[in-house]
Amino acid sequence: MPQVLNQSYDQLVEKAQELFWTQGYKGVTAKELAAYLDVSTSVIYNKFTKDMLFMDSLGYYTSNYSDPFLKQLRETTEGLDSLRDFFYALIDALLDKTFPKSCLMVNTVVEMRNANQEITDVYQRYFETLTNSYKVVLDKAIGLGQIKYPEKKNEYAEFLLGVIFSMSILYKIQPKEQLIEFIDEQLSFIE
Amino acid sequence: MRYKEYNTNNVLEKCIPIFWEKGFRGTSIQEIVKVTGVNRFSLYHEFQNKEGILYNALKIYQERYGDVKFEILSKEGELPAILQEFYLSFLQSKEKHKGCFYIHIGTELADDDPKIKSLIKDYLSRLESVLIKRLSIEEKTKNNPAFYARHLVALFCTSMSFCLIHSEKQKQHHIANGIEVILTKKINYATGT
Repeated sequence: MPQVLNQSYDQLVEKAQELFWTQGYKGVTAKELAAYLDVSTSVIYNKFTKDMLFMDSLGYYTSNYSDPFLKQLRETTEGLDSLRDFFYALIDALLDKTFPKSCLMVNTVVEMRNANQEITDVYQRYFETLTNSYKVVLDKAIGLGQIKYPEKKNEYAEFLLGVIFSMSILYKIQPKEQLIEFIDEQLSFIE
Repeated sequence: MRYKEYNTNNVLEKCIPIFWEKGFRGTSIQEIVKVTGVNRFSLYHEFQNKEGILYNALKIYQERYGDVKFEILSKEGELPAILQEFYLSFLQSKEKHKGCFYIHIGTELADDDPKIKSLIKDYLSRLESVLIKRLSIEEKTKNNPAFYARHLVALFCTSMSFCLIHSEKQKQHHIANGIEVILTKKINYATGT
């Protein structure tokens, strides 16, 4: 008799991304995934594969974590002060485990690199949104007269792209006060 | 005493690419046995468990690969060029896996494993002191080498993760931009005056 699933595919993705976020892609076997999702392994082998669930987990992460976070950032009005608040909020999310382990996209970059085109496309969309959001905030900062060298906007945006990566390592080894100081200093480079 | 028929360091060196390729969780002891040719009993006897193998493999990585790259920072030459060469030495290295083994393992495990956390911390502190030493003799940075070193360490973390998905041109650009932004910063914030 075919197994009847009592969970929708979307519910399975939501659960699967929790596991991928903390254990990565390679660190999860089909068996572990099935147990975590409370489905039989045949579901993972024949119906909703690990690859499929992983790709959709990245999509889930983007639409539920990073997109709303960045939309909020783009809607702010205080330029560099808003950017500082954004990074402070990121520190909190990392330390209080709202983000259970670093940023899923950063973890995936380190673990999977450009393993396949589909994943690379996801990175590209993600980093485009991130860069554009930083540029929106930098424009506001320029409008507010907070930036002495507006012609350096693109350099600053590229530099800021790195912050989420350095933070993804530093939060693991530094106390909160040090992370806050680090953010303040990083933002002092935007002058 | 039984004669040990293998060289521990060489065994560990063979483990580095497996952990790098499959991650710590994704690597089984069977695979380690297969790649090293050392049986499970001897591996456990020598290193206690899979974690023990990893801790020692990190040490070997630093001795055999990391140290040589850290030495670039004491070479003569223009500071931005030396820094660029240093970062790129990890990304263009001839080894199969580009990047830094410590950052790779730290990304996977530093949240849950206190020993890994402290190894990553030590590794980055070591990098920071090598940078401070260099920055103390440079005109531009000698007044507050610790400030610049901190941010160049952060750029290291970024380069060893973000740049893994970059083309050759993109990674050179990202690193050069980072060095430029950091070193252009005037000293006032750095000195707190």
